[in-house]
Amino acid sequence: MESERSANQAGNNGGSESPRIGVFICHCGGNISDIVDVTRVAEETARLPGVVCSMTHMFCCSDPGQGLIEEKIREQNLNRVIVAACSPSLHETTFRRAVARAGLNEYLFEHCNIREQVSWVIADKELATQKAGRLVRAAATRARYLRPLQRRRIPIRPSALIIGGGVAGLTTARDLAQRGIEVTLIEASPFLGGRLASLHRIYPTGKRAREVIGALIEEVASNPKVTVYTNAQLENATGFVGDFRTTVRILPRGVTSECTNPKEVIEACPEETLDTFNLGLSKRKAIYLPYDGCYPPVPAIDWKACTKCGVCFEVAGGKGIQLDEQPRLVEIQSGVIVIAVGLNTYPVRHGEYGYGVLPEVITLHQLNRLLDPEGPTRGRLLVNGHEVRRIGFMHCVGSLQRKGIHKPMRDGRINEYCSRVCCTTSVHTAAELKERFPEMQIYDFHEDIRTYGRKHEDYYDEVSQKGVVFIRFDPLRPPRVDADPKGQAPLVVRTYDRLTFGEELEVPLDALVLAQGLVARDMSKLVDLYRCSVGADRFLMEVHPKLRPVEMAASGLFLSGTVQGPMDIGESTAAAAAAAAKAASMIKTGIIELDPFVARVQEDLCSGCKVCLTVCPFQAISRNEERGVAQINEALCMGCGACAATCPSNAIQQAGFEDAQVKAEVLALLQEPALAAAAD
Amino acid sequence: MTTTETKPDRTGAGQKWEPRIVGFLCYWCSYTGADGAGTARMKYAPNVDIVKVMCSGRIDPELVTTAFANGADGVVVLGCHLGDCHYINGNHKTMARMPLLRRVLEDYGIEPERFRHDWVSAAEGEKFARLVTEMTEQVRALGPLNWPERMRERGVGHGADLPPWGSNHK
Amino acid sequence: MSANGKLKVGMYWAASCGGCDISLLEIGARILDLAQVADVAFWPCAADFKYKDVAAYPDGYLDVCFYNGSVRNSEQEEVARLLRQKSKTLVAYGACACDGGIPALANYKSPKAIFQRVYHDNPSIDNPEGIEPQPNFETPFGAVQIPAFYPAVLRLRDIVEVDYELPGCPPQADRVWETIQAVVSGAVPARNQHVRVGCGQKTVCDECPLEKREVKITQFRRHHEYRPEPGWCLLEQGLLCMGPATRSGCGALCIKGGMPCEGCYGPAAAVEDQGAAIIGALGGLLDAATEERAQELVSQITDPTGRFYRFTTASGMLKVHAQGGQS
Repeated sequence: MESERSANQAGNNGGSESPRIGVFICHCGGNISDIVDVTRVAEETARLPGVVCSMTHMFCCSDPGQGLIEEKIREQNLNRVIVAACSPSLHETTFRRAVARAGLNEYLFEHCNIREQVSWVIADKELATQKAGRLVRAAATRARYLRPLQRRRIPIRPSALIIGGGVAGLTTARDLAQRGIEVTLIEASPFLGGRLASLHRIYPTGKRAREVIGALIEEVASNPKVTVYTNAQLENATGFVGDFRTTVRILPRGVTSECTNPKEVIEACPEETLDTFNLGLSKRKAIYLPYDGCYPPVPAIDWKACTKCGVCFEVAGGKGIQLDEQPRLVEIQSGVIVIAVGLNTYPVRHGEYGYGVLPEVITLHQLNRLLDPEGPTRGRLLVNGHEVRRIGFMHCVGSLQRKGIHKPMRDGRINEYCSRVCCTTSVHTAAELKERFPEMQIYDFHEDIRTYGRKHEDYYDEVSQKGVVFIRFDPLRPPRVDADPKGQAPLVVRTYDRLTFGEELEVPLDALVLAQGLVARDMSKLVDLYRCSVGADRFLMEVHPKLRPVEMAASGLFLSGTVQGPMDIGESTAAAAAAAAKAASMIKTGIIELDPFVARVQEDLCSGCKVCLTVCPFQAISRNEERGVAQINEALCMGCGACAATCPSNAIQQAGFEDAQVKAEVLALLQEPALAAAAD
Repeated sequence: MTTTETKPDRTGAGQKWEPRIVGFLCYWCSYTGADGAGTARMKYAPNVDIVKVMCSGRIDPELVTTAFANGADGVVVLGCHLGDCHYINGNHKTMARMPLLRRVLEDYGIEPERFRHDWVSAAEGEKFARLVTEMTEQVRALGPLNWPERMRERGVGHGADLPPWGSNHK
Repeated sequence: MSANGKLKVGMYWAASCGGCDISLLEIGARILDLAQVADVAFWPCAADFKYKDVAAYPDGYLDVCFYNGSVRNSEQEEVARLLRQKSKTLVAYGACACDGGIPALANYKSPKAIFQRVYHDNPSIDNPEGIEPQPNFETPFGAVQIPAFYPAVLRLRDIVEVDYELPGCPPQADRVWETIQAVVSGAVPARNQHVRVGCGQKTVCDECPLEKREVKITQFRRHHEYRPEPGWCLLEQGLLCMGPATRSGCGALCIKGGMPCEGCYGPAAAVEDQGAAIIGALGGLLDAATEERAQELVSQITDPTGRFYRFTTASGMLKVHAQGGQS
């Protein structure tokens, strides 16, 4: 139970009448103390009026560290606590809880960042120590103006919206539904399964991808707690954690389950188009099912290819075909939202390693389709009509790109990262080729082999022993791919092999497989609607990769799967399960606690001028006509402070960021002596 | 005041002046970006003291004028890129206020290089480090602003007005 | 109170236009009521009082003294100190004494620049020898002294401890009369130079009859080039009305006369820097989705400093131009 002694002892907000400030400075195991003389900072800070105790600790966030803070609060009757340590994003909550356990209001705590913003970025120890001292004392001064605050408690709906119906979205959906939570899953395309459905055999089990995804879809679709919408586009998003309102536009499918003879209808359709499921290696009709056993088992109409000739309608006997179906809007309410929209493969440029110029250059994903017994060639390895006897794999196409060597993508950026899964996939596919076509000559062109995972190195060993030739190129001098002038083969790859000290090799091939990298989707609408953090690599970012994985900065939003970055299927489902566990945990507590940093109107200063109403992005402010003043709905207030800065009467203050508090910090910083470099 | 070495600026006799810049950073983007620079161990000038707020839209022009009036040689306000604001459009307010404030500051003779607003995302630690170092050098070239001294010279009663620390004023 | 039981009242005109002295007369016939209970003991504008008369008074002789005008020279400071000594209650009367007023706009120039403009580059002056006034000057007939010109315009409270501040340019007659009545009856708030009397507790928006439509500003206009739509908030129409950032008390007179408020009653009760307050407000009111558009709108404001700090330059955070010092 919290005691109110803090309110009594600290006095009102005009600065503490009798502040009793405790200062704890963390060594962070050397991360701070190797550069900052924390003992000196503690000693200097001890002299600040109001500071009752000032000490250091090796790891403030550890149990003994927190124990020390709690002990001192009780022993010294502290009414304000400062911890100077790493960034608040890591442990501010930890320390707030420690303060609360000791009976002090957790918002009478001020966190000072002297690691990420001091010891890690300043080389000169003297300068770093001065700066740390300055920041610590400014924090201690700011703390005098803090008030006790209570977090807001908002009820949370026991339901989840999952955006994306691939393996990650489905895994999260299954896990949440199994815990009794209502799930709505929306998928942009007409069919569930995502990228996994178009794969062939997957490592490490060697199972058929379609079996795996089929089983998962079955679990999800048959669970009464799950509602699935396909052909669904995000339209709008309002609400807040605990009560999200998402408007989804369901695009017309054109066909319903009332159609009893889908195969005949498809056969009869006169329009053909490239089959994107088979990555352009074959054609399909304008009305289609991508593969046997897909879900929903109802054909969809590809409106770009459809001419509305009406043949399908006739063949179906008028049942289940709706050529004039209109889009409709659905509003979905949920307590949490999980984003599982996956990623794209790198769009190989025309001419990159001969792609698009030489028909024998294909992508690894296309090779997968060719090897699939249910694929466009029924499992025969035919490329451009020829049997393949000599095949090459080219690694790092669209990954580990370098400025000046690789051309940027349309948005001007290059992909400097490793796409993680392509090496193992290439090697695993090479193993399958060796198994099915023992006489095939296989060459592997790489700048590096990153078979990083459990058992992945075994594939590498296996194919090496079976005679796959590994050729290592210099990334600054990548291989060249041309048609073979001697006509010995459809194409020839020329490269310098670092493993033989730069020997120049010419390798004639019947086919070259590009292990294309993975890139983020265009998620601008999603990012816009949910204000997601986006990394430099354009994938969505979690709050913290170690301490808060799969959580997004905005409360109640979670990331599931490859929307965060390249992952293999196992990693993706693990992340999906983590997202489900966290979302379920949030829902099961029944309420969500939000920061107390809301804005409040001081009515005797408010003139009802309505400038704040115009400014609030969350429509949290309205005018009380009776009293002629503004009033703020605390449940809607997100704590940005814009109204506080806008109010021309200074009638609005934001809790935790009041003018007096921020000004105290600024003035304290400026009253400290300026940084003085040690003799250089 | 354009010389760099004459005014001691509270560092004591004989010590070289170092620019002191107050940086108002929004937590979600720029403050996290600054943390990112730290995680990557980038090294940059130590002259910017960071004051954290939740959103750059919280930055009242009075906070900026307070900083200058009390001895800051420079002030920088950093927010999220337009469209990325965690609170939708807090940075739009910053975008509107800061140019207007800069014109007023120029009328007070405060050079535009002393006051900067920019957008730094959570992933732009490098931009943050570069910006800090750049701005420190720009302010160094301009010399100390030392507003309290200028006011004292003019007999202006600023400072005499401020209530003492810890009093119950307001 | 003096021997005859009447209050002794004083009014002094420092660096100001004289309008405040006239505004005291604006109480009209009520001056006769005032005369029943008070004697004027010092009012150079209205009758022949000399400084030596005031100096001869005992300390605290004046029950209430209204000091209007800012402090620009040594005479004004000297008299301020003298009146402080001789007054029980010293009231900073009007925008100039409270916040610097119009004279404080001179703070954007150095004294040197001011003298250059007034005595040299002035088209209506003929000064071939480049003479500038000097505080001390030897003549064949003895030394002549005139007050020294100060490097900045100051408020009354920058010089002496003030008991109350009464804002307005000028203070409105009804507010002045209310204040006088309060003084006479003794029903005055506790002395605090940060407490303003003779004004409301809100901003001009509270008194303004116009309606807000909660729309953003799409263009800024100057009042001589635009006829506002009646009934609709002038700020929303792009006229730079300082109403939201200005202390109430005047009854929104200017707005009722079709003119945007200029801010003469100074900042709102909890605000120190009126210019910063209106800039903060404008930040949320511009109809701009891009930086270019924001810059475009901002550039339509021809003189932001002069508009936003018109009456309160000496009360803002910064107060003076960076360059300056004694000329």
